[in-house]
Amino acid sequence: MKGSKLIAMISVFALVGLVVAPGSAVAEERIIIDGSTTVGPIAKAFAEYYMSKNKDVNITVSESGSGNGAKSLINGMCHVADMSRFMKDKEFAAAVKKGRTPVAHVVAIDGIVMVVHPSNPVKGFTVAQVRDIYMGRITNWKDLGGPNVEIVMISRDTNSGTYETFEKLVMKKKKIYEKAEYVGSNGAIRQRVQSTPASIGYIGLGFVDRSVKALEIDGIVPDMNTISSGIYPIARPLFMFTDGYPKLGTHLHRFITLHLSPRGQEIIEEIGFIPVTRY
Amino acid sequence: MELKTRRMLDRSFTTIGVFAIVLMAVSLVILLQPIVWRGAGAFIFRETVENRKLNLELLGRGSRAKVEIEITETEAARKPVYDMMAAFEAEMEEGGSAFRKQYGREYSELRDMLSELLGPLPGEKNPVLIRAQYGRTRWDRAQVKFHQIRYVEKYDYSDPDRMGVKIEKPRSALFESTSIEPLFGYLEENIEQMMLPKLTFYWRFLFDRSFDAHFFGGIWPEVLGTFYLALGAMLFAVPLGIVTAIYLAEYAGESRFVSLLRTCISSLAGVPSIVFGLFGLAFFINTMKISNGKSVLAGSLTLAFLVLPTVIRASEEAILAVPRTYKEAAMSLGAGKWHTIISVILPAALTGILTSIIISLGRAAGETAPIIFTAAVSVGRPLAIWQTLSQPSPALSWNIYNLATEHEAVDEIRHVQYGMVLTLVAMVLLLNLTAIIIRARISKKLRG
Repeated sequence: MKGSKLIAMISVFALVGLVVAPGSAVAEERIIIDGSTTVGPIAKAFAEYYMSKNKDVNITVSESGSGNGAKSLINGMCHVADMSRFMKDKEFAAAVKKGRTPVAHVVAIDGIVMVVHPSNPVKGFTVAQVRDIYMGRITNWKDLGGPNVEIVMISRDTNSGTYETFEKLVMKKKKIYEKAEYVGSNGAIRQRVQSTPASIGYIGLGFVDRSVKALEIDGIVPDMNTISSGIYPIARPLFMFTDGYPKLGTHLHRFITLHLSPRGQEIIEEIGFIPVTRY
Repeated sequence: MELKTRRMLDRSFTTIGVFAIVLMAVSLVILLQPIVWRGAGAFIFRETVENRKLNLELLGRGSRAKVEIEITETEAARKPVYDMMAAFEAEMEEGGSAFRKQYGREYSELRDMLSELLGPLPGEKNPVLIRAQYGRTRWDRAQVKFHQIRYVEKYDYSDPDRMGVKIEKPRSALFESTSIEPLFGYLEENIEQMMLPKLTFYWRFLFDRSFDAHFFGGIWPEVLGTFYLALGAMLFAVPLGIVTAIYLAEYAGESRFVSLLRTCISSLAGVPSIVFGLFGLAFFINTMKISNGKSVLAGSLTLAFLVLPTVIRASEEAILAVPRTYKEAAMSLGAGKWHTIISVILPAALTGILTSIIISLGRAAGETAPIIFTAAVSVGRPLAIWQTLSQPSPALSWNIYNLATEHEAVDEIRHVQYGMVLTLVAMVLLLNLTAIIIRARISKKLRG
């Protein structure tokens, strides 16, 4: 019959995929990582480093935001939740209710860096001024010593850990102005700032590159030294959460402690974040 | 109506038709040209010696003897640069704090950029990340970096009423009359000898996995993931869709309930794909728990639901379009209803049904939103077929989005993103083409 021929053909196609797969050592054990886009680069680099050393494990990384990472862990849908903020009481309660105990592993230290377009003459401001900008009290760059151009403020979405840290450390529970633009990732903020001369945004230290200008806060330049020593005011640890402490000797245990090894710390530094052991 | 008016109307209609087709063709060219052109850059590009080093050391590809000769050659060309740097470092050491203050920051920036261009400098320890272990592997990126080395990007903020204006100044001016000033002239003349750019065809881009978060390597896990997702969706949607279509066309009759059902199916086709994605997460993963977290299976099922309305409606139309006389003839020969459907109606409607499958296949391969929460990840190994039941996979559509917005070094790896776009377009085209060929063969057989 014709139908069966078609089905046969389709299955042949599916099998071709199998046969063609070159050098794909079949990894039976898996580690699923979900969560923060800020921790994402670390997780991805760790995953590829770990997989290159251990052929029998498949590590998948998704970057869907800290909030989603927490949800995933609570629902038992991932082994590691990347988070750029600590778990909230509510999330802890939900996890415990489902019989899970979230354990926090601080993998790196990060600062939230205020960035503007390099053509912006403003060099820096105070935390209070940043708060005023995002509250809509300062709406024009000329109030900060810049040209007479309206400020375009970019913020992360509310699912983001970076957003929550920003809200806590900078906004101090004040509401962000309704005109702010919300985007879904660090990379998206950077691109928005790159292409919009009048904009301001905030991103993790590891995402700062030459295409945007990092601003001083209270006269302090955000870099590895000022952040790790606690002088820079908007700093925070980056977390990976697991359900309970992983069983010793498992791939998960070795993966989650990678940041403590010299190699892991070098990776973190090469990406642009700060190893936890740097004071 | 007069004959003249009728002709004029006719002609103007033809003109509008031709115009529309030309417009379509032009926009298709405008759309496809950059996709093909830039996408080809992922496959065909000028590689530097760094790329050949990487291929040899990481993957054991290329001839060791040849690459080693090239390395000696480039090291010889690079040596004066390193010497000048060492000399300048010595000068800084002697120059005292004023000298260091003047040049310290500028020099460390220059040093960083040189190490990005050429790879780790002599005396530096070898970094862990592959991206930092080698210099620029692509000549186009090397030239961008080289430009950054030659020119300092400064902004002129003198006009207080406007944003700053970008000005580029030669970097050599910063180091005037120091021992490192000749470095810029030397680089200018010898950059090609230092990098040895060579045109290469990297066909393995399709079949390599990614190294260091898509900095190097290819897109095989994504290609495979897209393939699984699209075919998996068809595996569920096609039988389900055809059976539903048969039921609606032949068994359901015309009750109010059935017409309500039809309306529901039609409106389902208009539901935004992200809603299907969230539904897939809530239903397949959280409620049904068909897999422990995201998996290709969950993604396929979600995509199947997405394309199901199209398959059902188009198949139903195809079945209804089969002339009544066929059915009557079969019935009059004593065939039962089931027998008639299987042996007469379905074969006659098959081309129409296949058309619906072709359209859905392309859609399933290209959709992003339904797989965000159900199947797609940014990094993962290529899966074997049985692993699709329980494991998530990268997929082209999602990873294009991921690279475009979330990746920490977007600008360095644009070519990968473009290569993915080209591959996705080509894959959809190829899947469609195969389906079209199958359809043509079947309909030919049916006619003959």
